[in-house]
Amino acid sequence: MSKILLQLREIKKTFQSGKVIYEILKGINLEVEKGEFLAIMGPSGGGKSTLLNIIGLLDRPTSGSYLFENREVSTLSTNELAKLRNEKIGFVFQAFHLIPWATAQENVLLPLLYRGKIDQEDIYRAQGLLDRLGLKNHINLKPAELSGGQQQRVAIARALINNPSLLLADEPTGNLDSQSSREVMDILTELNKEGLTIIIVTHDSEVAKRANRIKILKDGLFIE
Amino acid sequence: MTKLLLKEILRELLSNKINLFFITLALVFSLTALNTIYALGKSAEKQILDTLANLNFGKDALLVLAGGSRVMGLTTTRTDTLVMEDVYAIERLGFVKMSSPFTGGLVEVSYKEKAEKLRLDGVLPIYLKANNWNILKGRFFNEEDVKNNNKVVVLGYDVARKWGGLNLVGEWIKIQGQFYLVIGILEKKGSLGHFPLDERIFVPLTTAQKRIFNQKHLRGIKIILYEDTSINLAEKTIRKLLRERHKLYGIAPDDFRIVTPEMVVARHTATSKTLSAFLLVIALISLIISGVIIMNLMTASVEEKAGVIALRIAVGAKPKHIILHYMFSALLLAIVSGAMGWALSIGLMYLLSLLTPLKPLFSWGTFLLSLTFSLITCIIFSIFPAFKASRIDPAILLKGL
Repeated sequence: MSKILLQLREIKKTFQSGKVIYEILKGINLEVEKGEFLAIMGPSGGGKSTLLNIIGLLDRPTSGSYLFENREVSTLSTNELAKLRNEKIGFVFQAFHLIPWATAQENVLLPLLYRGKIDQEDIYRAQGLLDRLGLKNHINLKPAELSGGQQQRVAIARALINNPSLLLADEPTGNLDSQSSREVMDILTELNKEGLTIIIVTHDSEVAKRANRIKILKDGLFIE
Repeated sequence: MTKLLLKEILRELLSNKINLFFITLALVFSLTALNTIYALGKSAEKQILDTLANLNFGKDALLVLAGGSRVMGLTTTRTDTLVMEDVYAIERLGFVKMSSPFTGGLVEVSYKEKAEKLRLDGVLPIYLKANNWNILKGRFFNEEDVKNNNKVVVLGYDVARKWGGLNLVGEWIKIQGQFYLVIGILEKKGSLGHFPLDERIFVPLTTAQKRIFNQKHLRGIKIILYEDTSINLAEKTIRKLLRERHKLYGIAPDDFRIVTPEMVVARHTATSKTLSAFLLVIALISLIISGVIIMNLMTASVEEKAGVIALRIAVGAKPKHIILHYMFSALLLAIVSGAMGWALSIGLMYLLSLLTPLKPLFSWGTFLLSLTFSLITCIIFSIFPAFKASRIDPAILLKGL
């Protein structure tokens, strides 16, 4: 059993705006092992979000190879990518992105809607996750009734509902106060200790310190 | 389709109540118009049918008229070939319940010092039964009157009213200079077309033929068929019989015309049909406009909810999930609006029935019509927003804020 979860080889991404072609990623090479906690840092405009989109299978690279669990995924169809995202990857966003009209529990169950039937076991699992993240008494509240930290914990529970192989977090503490930030990072650290591979994009060096490896992306290339 | 997904769709719809309100409003209005116009057209048609059934004609009736097809209003064939022997032959056909021959024309009628040109019909006693009509006062003529060419006359209601009402029974009136005894007055019976029935006078067929018009032939025969007779078949059989009897072979044109209930209805409903078709087209255009409104509002809604849609895609929703999601929203809207439009149109028709002689026509047919058009509109016009939603790039989630 290979220890490598994902492997990026010479990943390039270009965008065209009118006649001008922008090269956002200029040849990224990256290997992430199972159980790793990687932080990607770097200045704005350095290509962090684009890279995260590609790693998270939300976007395809213009060129290069991307092996996810030893499978070439850079050329998969939209539907195949959707299936992989659904089963293998959990997302945590800076702006939480919870559905405003759904309760905490329903938000957590959202990814399962696209997998098939939701049974009682799934509901127990969602409740268990919320319980574990300290939201036992909030499962039927809507996002607007929760604090920022609580909303981010709901989002983490949502990311975990499908038992992903990889958790991607994009500035997960960007919208939070320091107390909530610490709580959220504690949760992520704990999840990593239990074996979950985590890739986090952040500006915050305090946050990045929690990772066991830091990569810095600048002008479309890793500089260290 | 899980319960949660349904709940999710419903709540998303309800999350922008103003949008939802306008979508429903646009649909309901145009569907109400469509339903009302359709149902009123049907109602008008039914009323004409009812009138025809009650008054002049009947569902199971045929009319044979002397003289063939007309060119510019002129008969091109002989018109004096239809005779009583034809009636007897027709009566022998198995599907004929009764037949009522008639002749008629305009005659000079005078009573006291007043003179008038009136339409006079020469008919047999069976005429009343064949036309579902009754005598109001006095009596109709009988076989005896027919046999003896008696100079007796029965007046239509409006004629009697004009000249002195019910007291006219027993009076003498002059027809073409000869005295006739008024023996009865007919019930009022509205009718469509020229020479309203209530403005006619009636004498025995033989009296009309021998004393007034001096002719042997008939103007026409009204034939009542047994119920459930195929009108088309009856028409064909009678045509064949008459052609044989009139010795018309090969390409010789008919010297008679057979009028079926459909032809009568068609003549009377042609105008109202044109009008309702026109109104229906307008209603359909309004439905298309509301479809465009739906498309517009749904597209706006999709743009507004881009974040939520992107999230769904990010967590694994495939394009088909997103498309189905919005199509299903459209389906829900269609069903609700369809039902509302139908209910409103029933209310509207009830109101109209208070103000006009049209009667509201309750039918599940219009309900289906409403639902069908609602569904078609919603589905067609939500295709674009649904596909737009499915194309949303989930990458916007990361660029966010």
